[in-house]
Amino acid sequence: MISKKEIEKLAFLARLNLDVQEQRNVPGELESILRYIQRLGDVDTEEIEPLFHFPELKNITREDEVKQVEQKVQKRMMRMGKDKDDYLKVEFTL
Amino acid sequence: MITSIKEAQKKLRNEEISPREVVTSFLSRVKEKNKNTNALLSIFDKATREIEETNKELPLYGSIFAIKDNILVEGRKCTAGSKLLEHYTAPYDATVIKKIKEKGGVIIGKANMDEFAMGSSTENSAFGATRNPHDLTRVPGGSSGGCAAALADGMCNAGLGSDTGGSIRQPSAFCGVVGFKPTYGTVSRYGVISMTSSFDQVGPLANTVEDAQLIFDAIRGKDEKDSVTSDLLRKEKKEKIKVGILKESFAEGMDSEVKEALEEAISKIKDSDVELMEITVPYTQYALSAYEIIMASEVSANMARFDGIRYGLEFERPAAKNLKEAYLINRGEGFGKEAKRRIILGTYALSAGYYDAYYIKAQKVRNLISEDFKKAFSQVDIIFTPTTPTLPFKIGEKIKNPLAMHLSDIFTVTANLAGLPAITLPCGEKKGLPVGAQLLARRFQEEALFDTAKKFEKLWKK
Repeated sequence: MISKKEIEKLAFLARLNLDVQEQRNVPGELESILRYIQRLGDVDTEEIEPLFHFPELKNITREDEVKQVEQKVQKRMMRMGKDKDDYLKVEFTL
Repeated sequence: MITSIKEAQKKLRNEEISPREVVTSFLSRVKEKNKNTNALLSIFDKATREIEETNKELPLYGSIFAIKDNILVEGRKCTAGSKLLEHYTAPYDATVIKKIKEKGGVIIGKANMDEFAMGSSTENSAFGATRNPHDLTRVPGGSSGGCAAALADGMCNAGLGSDTGGSIRQPSAFCGVVGFKPTYGTVSRYGVISMTSSFDQVGPLANTVEDAQLIFDAIRGKDEKDSVTSDLLRKEKKEKIKVGILKESFAEGMDSEVKEALEEAISKIKDSDVELMEITVPYTQYALSAYEIIMASEVSANMARFDGIRYGLEFERPAAKNLKEAYLINRGEGFGKEAKRRIILGTYALSAGYYDAYYIKAQKVRNLISEDFKKAFSQVDIIFTPTTPTLPFKIGEKIKNPLAMHLSDIFTVTANLAGLPAITLPCGEKKGLPVGAQLLARRFQEEALFDTAKKFEKLWKK
């Protein structure tokens, strides 16, 4: 059983405020999903490798070079920020 | 009414209709119907002028698109159905949009969706639910419900959606249109808002299989901006196609109406030259469980950027004393209930001590499912399954029960886990509501899939 306290801790780690209703409902909702997925425990995966990538696909890499962003794209991005000129003003995050 | 791209192209080339008329007929339909269904979140009146400036020889000429609102269209709002992105304007075109524009397609609007593509009913949109045009008291499916509803209601003749666990196919089935999820890696996701990077694929919604193929051919291909894309397409022409009916999908809880419609559809195949047999892929019974874990884990990572600083709206927060509190408020107010549940579940599955038991275990089971399909495809070319276990359900019916909602993807998630191409097409009707059948093929085997789907489409047409 996933406790209300555990949910509170997870929500904090994920930086999500939950309202009173969510605090009440989320533990039960997640519990029903966790109970459903318990069937994975029946599968013997002792010798099995996890499948992260399909064999047909190779990572595409490219040179690490500085490219000029198109002027109009740059302008559009600036318009979404708070400041003018060549800088975007964001919240202080350090 | 224009019902397909091919039909629009024919009429345009024979000059039975002018380009302007094509767009205005769709636009007037939008104006008449959108208030009932809430399928489109924004409408582009400029489309009329755009089609007049389009070269008639281009492959997508005459296609009028509704684009799911998690795909960037330059200079247009892109909300992903979330309050967090209510005021976000796309600074550039997604690769798929660039291709559609270059190949003669015209965009009529952006379509409603479940927030960040999380949902199976389009009820999780911050901008109101979309309704099913076949019955306005029912859901259109999701998360690409807006595209499917717009197409079914004649507001456009093409749609572009994204599919992580069935988000193109399930709404297509509920709305009675064709929906196609390509092989993982065939279509670029540059400029598409990520949900679960291991599963996300962009694909077409259309009125016919031929149209779906036309759109797929236009948007597919390697892109250096999506590092796992490929040009690979396997072409093996077969004299006689072997189709396997997936035994497990008929054993699990399916509504009697859906089962009946599928059995009728199967009996029509039996009369054709296709060879039918039963096939078993036992590990598919674990598919939804593995999907839930991998999906939620990657969701929790991909949603981290929506914090009100890097992306997303900043809320009024006189109460925030520090940055941590600001994040808590921005994300707490910004995300809807379903997104929050999945982020928390993913955070749980990835936390120390649980990572091996959940995420790695699920990826191992995924390997077993993929290998199981490989075995099945050594016996058959195509696998036949239901698309959904139920008919379109009522608005509000499942929204308070997340597990019941997630179970509506039980037949579609397998293709995402194994990276397979999968198509749904209408195969019948019950109680006046459409029923879809799903076909799966080997990875990169889209050609065989389209060939078979075209064959069945003819057999199942009313």
